[in-house]
Amino acid sequence: MTSSAPEHDRLTPPDPQELSDWLRERVAYFVECPVTDIATDVKLVEYGLDSLYALTLCGDIEDTFGIPVSATLAWDYPTIDAIVGLLAAPRQS
Amino acid sequence: MTTLPGPPPALADPDLPHPLEQLLGDPLDPDNPLSYDAFLAADERGDLLPAGRALLDAFGLGAEFVPRALGGRLRQADELARVLRPLFRRDGSLGLGHGAINLIASAPVWSAGSPGQRGLLADLLLAGGQTAGAYTELASGHDLVASKVKAARQGRGWSLSGRKEVINNVTRAHAVTVLARTGEQPGSRSHSLFLLDMDSVPRERLRFLPRFRTSGLRAIHLGGVEFDGCPLPESALIGDEGGALESVLRAFQVTKAVLSGATLGSLDTQLRTVTAFATERRLYGRPVSELPHARAALTGAFIDLLIADCLSTTVCRALHVLPRMTSLYAPAAKYLVPLLTQEAMDSLAVVLGARSFLREGAQGIFQKHLRDLPVGSLAHSGATVCQATIIPQLPRPARRSWFVTPPAPSELFRIDAPLDDLDFQRLAITAAADDGLLAVLPDAAEQLRSDPVLGPLCGRLTDSLRVLRDDCLALTPRSATPLAEPWGFELAERYALLAAAAACLGVWQHNRDRPDPFLRDTAWLAAALRRLTVRLGHGPGPDVDTRAVFQELTERCERNTAFDLIGRRLA
Repeated sequence: MTSSAPEHDRLTPPDPQELSDWLRERVAYFVECPVTDIATDVKLVEYGLDSLYALTLCGDIEDTFGIPVSATLAWDYPTIDAIVGLLAAPRQS
Repeated sequence: MTTLPGPPPALADPDLPHPLEQLLGDPLDPDNPLSYDAFLAADERGDLLPAGRALLDAFGLGAEFVPRALGGRLRQADELARVLRPLFRRDGSLGLGHGAINLIASAPVWSAGSPGQRGLLADLLLAGGQTAGAYTELASGHDLVASKVKAARQGRGWSLSGRKEVINNVTRAHAVTVLARTGEQPGSRSHSLFLLDMDSVPRERLRFLPRFRTSGLRAIHLGGVEFDGCPLPESALIGDEGGALESVLRAFQVTKAVLSGATLGSLDTQLRTVTAFATERRLYGRPVSELPHARAALTGAFIDLLIADCLSTTVCRALHVLPRMTSLYAPAAKYLVPLLTQEAMDSLAVVLGARSFLREGAQGIFQKHLRDLPVGSLAHSGATVCQATIIPQLPRPARRSWFVTPPAPSELFRIDAPLDDLDFQRLAITAAADDGLLAVLPDAAEQLRSDPVLGPLCGRLTDSLRVLRDDCLALTPRSATPLAEPWGFELAERYALLAAAAACLGVWQHNRDRPDPFLRDTAWLAAALRRLTVRLGHGPGPDVDTRAVFQELTERCERNTAFDLIGRRLA
């Protein structure tokens, strides 16, 4: 079992809701709790996502949504909302 | 500073000892001030051999750690490992405490430092200065995020407070790299690195802690330092504020890979000592080396040394060729090489019998290296830290790369092919889905399918890779963290073993035009793959004839050439 989201090959930014739901699911899976317990404005580190795992999350985003992502994304954008805000925005650098 | 092309490094004449080995001289000559006996006596005293330090200073070892673009001699990681190997053949304390420690301390500066910091550190090392890396604290160990030493903003600079413990070489260092907390937030952006010029920090604001004594590597000076509001200029910050973890994750790939290759010198000494003993000593009317059990131990240790050299050399070269993957490869080498070395030494100790624990006499050097190894293995990332670094990086290549990515280019494995200078900036901090090393396994299995020995062995390795892929895909996210169950750690071990097998195959495939007939032949390769498949849990498999391997071992012992891949003459 890897992820429930289909893999895409696209360069367009993902739908914010889809990315947010997928991230909540990943975090819930990680902390082994119901997805409804995961808030999008709480820092991932507070759910116990350590530094190295946060790095691999970026690889998962890349592979699932087909967009290149910096490895330290989850260090610099520490909540689900922050990640969605960056990646799902219509224009990013 | 312009960079000169120079001769390709690995093409040095193998019939001549490395210049550093030459300077160290015959280790068995009682009149040599750098003999094994001299190092043993220094170890008993618990101090670095003064003649050893003087020799390294005269040789200008510091230049080996300075990139060529800054005036030093560092260009290729595998070459640096081979330069350091003669030191570890004598004494790990000197090799680490007056040698490799300077790589550990300087690597983050080469990775993230400003031009000013790089220049300062390069000048210092080129002038024979010493450095130390104050990363760890006893309470948090390698959990660097939990480090408590704090740097607070003060005016236009910083103020440093707290204790760093178990820091090698710190009292002798002219510059110290310090990891400190610079933010209160939890997470990975709250730590920064600082470069302390010990000539300019106010000494009344720091205090050295008493030395920590050790069971092995007794001569190293492990100390500590306590900062009491020690003021630092803004220019001391290495890289960006909050950038420590990133810099360290890059720099420590280089240190792990190079140390894995360098420390093989120690196993060379052990194997040489025991082979000489077993050839001379007679039991039951024949030399000990002709007793099957002893012969198997000697041959096995030689094979393990070759496996370890294939892996560490390949991983060092991957820093240049596959820098997107070395965050996975480097901890695999740093995990597996000490493990293979420890087990080889343990089986050699059985051959040596009571002499394996005598602290003097012709085999006295053996017990020293045996005691040194566990300490040296833990110094700078022990096995558990390395496994915990590997585990979270496995699911991605398992999902996207294994059985998909083509094998790495031949320059990864060609031991005499020059590479572009080491570039720390290119090292990725987490592995991409581009595992060109493991891709050697299914490719070789296809090519060698009809070989009666290598074919089945490669088939087993490919089976193991398939099982590992399935197991990695089944890994829950939580088990891919330092909180992993033992199961996750076992996956990391299997990955390292498969990486070693791929390295052996790659080295064999891509060096068949070299003059050395032993390396071209399949005897060592078949024996290596067989040992690795057994470690992976397979049965003994096809019979492998190791007579040629044993013969090579005894010939190298007589010719006084190294047991590693290059087999260069020794002093």
